[in-house]
Amino acid sequence: MPSPSGRTTPAANPYLVCAAAWAVPGAGHLWLGRYQKGLTLLVVLPLMFAVGLGIRGRIFPFQFDDLLVGLAAIADLGIGLPYLVARLAGAGAGEVIAITYEYGNTYVIVAGLLNMLAALDAFDIAMGRK
Amino acid sequence: MDTTSHLGLLVMFAAFVSIAFAVLMRDQPKEQLTFGAKLFGTFVGSAVLLGWLLYPLPL
Repeated sequence: MPSPSGRTTPAANPYLVCAAAWAVPGAGHLWLGRYQKGLTLLVVLPLMFAVGLGIRGRIFPFQFDDLLVGLAAIADLGIGLPYLVARLAGAGAGEVIAITYEYGNTYVIVAGLLNMLAALDAFDIAMGRK
Repeated sequence: MDTTSHLGLLVMFAAFVSIAFAVLMRDQPKEQLTFGAKLFGTFVGSAVLLGWLLYPLPL
């Protein structure tokens, strides 16, 4: 539906779109018909997460006695279903002596954060703000 | 790509982040390409520059 600013408001529940965008990277944009964005995010974000795990990155535990570890765990969770798949597969133990360990952590954390950003972007589109 | 190369990992990281930001922040494919290329160049260029600036400093 066109808004006064000329933008179109897709007929989708923004909260469901946001949840879908979190669960499956790119799903929110695909739902809203932004196929190019959705497909790009669907490939790039899980790939970045997988590369992070592949180079011995760690999925951090929810231990808030060390605040940075807890925050990193929340960021890791941001990637959605790939996080659950990785946990179920036993991946993400991390190898602290690997030269790529810190790089891997950064890849995994940033992939989660970028997916959170993508979910918020999908929410904004569904709300008619973009 | 050698996955233990610091530069290689940096370049790959810059590529992933640049693509994601370009797709999220620009709507037209041509704008995405331009913005993503600028972002990628800035990431890699600033990392190399900072690396050289820090080079004389002892660990």
